[in-house]
Amino acid sequence: MANEIDMTEEEKIQYIVVKIGSEQYGIDISYVDNIVRMQKITRVPKAPSYYPGIINLRGEVVPVMSAHLKMGLGDDVETNKSRIIILKLEQQGLVGMVVDEVKEVITLGESEIDRSAQNSKNRDSTYINGIGKNGDDLISIFEINAIVDEVAVS
Amino acid sequence: MDVSQYLDIFIEESSEHIQSLSDNIMVLENEPENKDTINEIFRVAHSLKGMAGTMGFKRMQHLTHDMENLFSEVRNDNIKVNSELIDILFNCLDAIEAYVDTVKSTSDEGTEDNEVLIKKLNDFLEGSEGGDVSDGAGEESTSADADNPSEDGDSAGSEDPNGKDHFKVMKVDENTLSKLNDSVESGLILYGMTVHVQKECLLKAARAFLVFKALEDYGEIIAYEPSSQDIEDEKFDLAFSCILASSSTDVDGMRAAVSAVSEIEAVDLDKVTPDMYEKTAAAPAAAEDKEEVAAPAAAPAAAPVAKASEKAAPAPAKKTANKPVTARTVRVDIEKLDALMNQVSELIIAKNSLVSISSSESNGGGAGYDNQSWQEQIEYLERITTNLHESVMKVRMVPIENTVNKFPRMIRDLSRKLGKPMDLIMTGEETELDRTVVDQIGDPLQHLLRNSADHGIESPEERKAAGKPEEGTIFLNAFQEGNNVIIQVGDDGAGINTEKVKQKAIERGIVSPEEAESLTQKEIIEFLFMPSFSMAKEITDISGRGVGLDVVKSNIEALGGDVEVKSTLGQGSTFTVRLPLTLAIIQALMVEIRDEKYAIALGSIMNIEDISVNDIKYVEAKEVIHIRGLVIPIIRLDQLLDSAPRDEEPDNLTVVIVKKGDSYAGLVVDNLIGQQEIVIKSLGKVIDNNKLISGATILGDGEVALILDVNTLI
Repeated sequence: MANEIDMTEEEKIQYIVVKIGSEQYGIDISYVDNIVRMQKITRVPKAPSYYPGIINLRGEVVPVMSAHLKMGLGDDVETNKSRIIILKLEQQGLVGMVVDEVKEVITLGESEIDRSAQNSKNRDSTYINGIGKNGDDLISIFEINAIVDEVAVS
Repeated sequence: MDVSQYLDIFIEESSEHIQSLSDNIMVLENEPENKDTINEIFRVAHSLKGMAGTMGFKRMQHLTHDMENLFSEVRNDNIKVNSELIDILFNCLDAIEAYVDTVKSTSDEGTEDNEVLIKKLNDFLEGSEGGDVSDGAGEESTSADADNPSEDGDSAGSEDPNGKDHFKVMKVDENTLSKLNDSVESGLILYGMTVHVQKECLLKAARAFLVFKALEDYGEIIAYEPSSQDIEDEKFDLAFSCILASSSTDVDGMRAAVSAVSEIEAVDLDKVTPDMYEKTAAAPAAAEDKEEVAAPAAAPAAAPVAKASEKAAPAPAKKTANKPVTARTVRVDIEKLDALMNQVSELIIAKNSLVSISSSESNGGGAGYDNQSWQEQIEYLERITTNLHESVMKVRMVPIENTVNKFPRMIRDLSRKLGKPMDLIMTGEETELDRTVVDQIGDPLQHLLRNSADHGIESPEERKAAGKPEEGTIFLNAFQEGNNVIIQVGDDGAGINTEKVKQKAIERGIVSPEEAESLTQKEIIEFLFMPSFSMAKEITDISGRGVGLDVVKSNIEALGGDVEVKSTLGQGSTFTVRLPLTLAIIQALMVEIRDEKYAIALGSIMNIEDISVNDIKYVEAKEVIHIRGLVIPIIRLDQLLDSAPRDEEPDNLTVVIVKKGDSYAGLVVDNLIGQQEIVIKSLGKVIDNNKLISGATILGDGEVALILDVNTLI
């Protein structure tokens, strides 16, 4: 999985750093279409459990997943820092992801990302493809396509 | 002459002609003596020839010309229609269709000469006339000559200067001829003229009308070519001719009057005498004479055409790779457009009213501004947008006719191929559906029909043994039901042998023998829709490869429809295809279940009942209600949708009764909100695995509501 992002050392990628639970995660900015404030999510019966429902994004209906539920962190706790990151994916189109907080945008080169630190026993491992180091902070880099596709952790 | 701008029209019209040809040949096969049909085929072949000629498609023109020749003989009772002729005709039809298809994809007719076919046509022509070949040849040239003037008329519209004095060679029947003579005897002067309209002219018939109106000031028009009816119907190319009997000698005035009509390119006008037309009236005798007149006209017209096709020839390979050169179009009834236009003007009026209300408010109305007129305008606006939507939908609607029309021919061919006599009966061809649906429904329907022909209908011997008529019947019925269009395809054949299907399913390991025992008939038939599940004992090229019903099902589901099968062993099967009438916007009833809002398509709702909990009865441990003689199962939507349970059950339930075909269901809802027009949005791919919810819609306050797919509930 480490090889999926192919780049030279000079190439740097921008990540949006978000807080989910107590940890920080990085989302490749090229997948991010938009960040919107929390809004009413309409429940869709029989949808996968980690999809709380759909929202109205300026006239378009966009399904929204919960990072909390997806990673088995329990229900979302909505605060005024909660945001919905709208991801634009090739296959699935627009998909929203509820996160606890959007912190900052950072730039990481491949040298600052530790691709080997993945522990295969870690339940997150399937959708984390590396650990980025931003000063003292450690940031788990999401493998976006996997997090949307994979079945939730039970 | 640059004809590319007419390409769309050519393709559209030739497709129509091909269809009419196909229909008529089918009729002819059953009624070989039908004069009307023979005339119609002749006429269609002639039109196709003319169109192909105008467009410079020489090969197609050649083929249709020979078809026309043959039919002129049939028309004159010199040739009898037999099955051999019908076969040749169908071959020709396929060849013409191939030309048109090639034109569609490359804007050129291709290089297929169809010499074999043309030879067959001519052989048939000569063969039927027996030893009397010379006579046949003579006749042929006559009919060819008879066509020349009209071709001449066609080319006259182009830049061909030689065609301009067409009026001198126009066809005049004896009746008219005597009128011409009478006019001369009563001292009138005859003027012949050919009027050329500009090729950009859109309302040719209207121009012709104005020309005739202008001429009527001078005298009486005695002869038209084409006929006055055809001119009125715009059935002419770029020029028409007429003969005017007038007492005036003001030739220049006449010319000026005609030229004054806009979009008239040129007028050829000269004095004529009746004896000029005597020759035409007695056509065969004057054949040679006329040929001389016509020949120079035809030759220059043909030359650039030949050049054009030569030019096109070296690069056909590159061209074929191209996408179809024409856009997808919808022919719209002018009335539908008028309605649309009216509604748009109303919309503008409504907008203006709103503007004036809001400005009068700002001018000092203040708090006392007229709430009522505001409300009225909103209602007005609402009505207009609803109508507007309906009209736009109607514009997109086309009858399924164009798609199903090719089926009789297909069944005829299948009937021959399979050696089983069968007949296709179609009803409701005029049923309208959204253009995109009509385009995509052809293949699934074709498949179902083939299925009926191949698997459904038994061999004549079996049918006889079963006491049925030897000829099998396949039917296709289309009709509208609420917001759906239903298309039923079925046969009176053997029906589906569920035992065999069950065996097959067990053989293939889809179910265990134990499981199979408890399957219902419906569940067994469902197996037929599974991928690569074929019941055919042997694979034919018609069906039996197992890529079939599953594709039919998925195609129909992709259009938002579904398909059902009913089958009685020994009596036949019926496939019922249900398709949504509209795709994007529907009228819906908004209901509330707990605090969630759902939309139910109004088309599937029969009525709404308020029932007491005590009225609920149980049948097979399921809740039902008994209303007006119907036993209707109750569906608790809150349970189905995993809504939060209620603290206490109310004594009265609001039940929305929905129907699908002959089945009903009562949906229990908490509250009714009201009727609303909703725009259907997709849920997105990630949570699309939900059959219960067919989509979502955004309400006026920005909230999202889900649309319940009633069809999956029943």
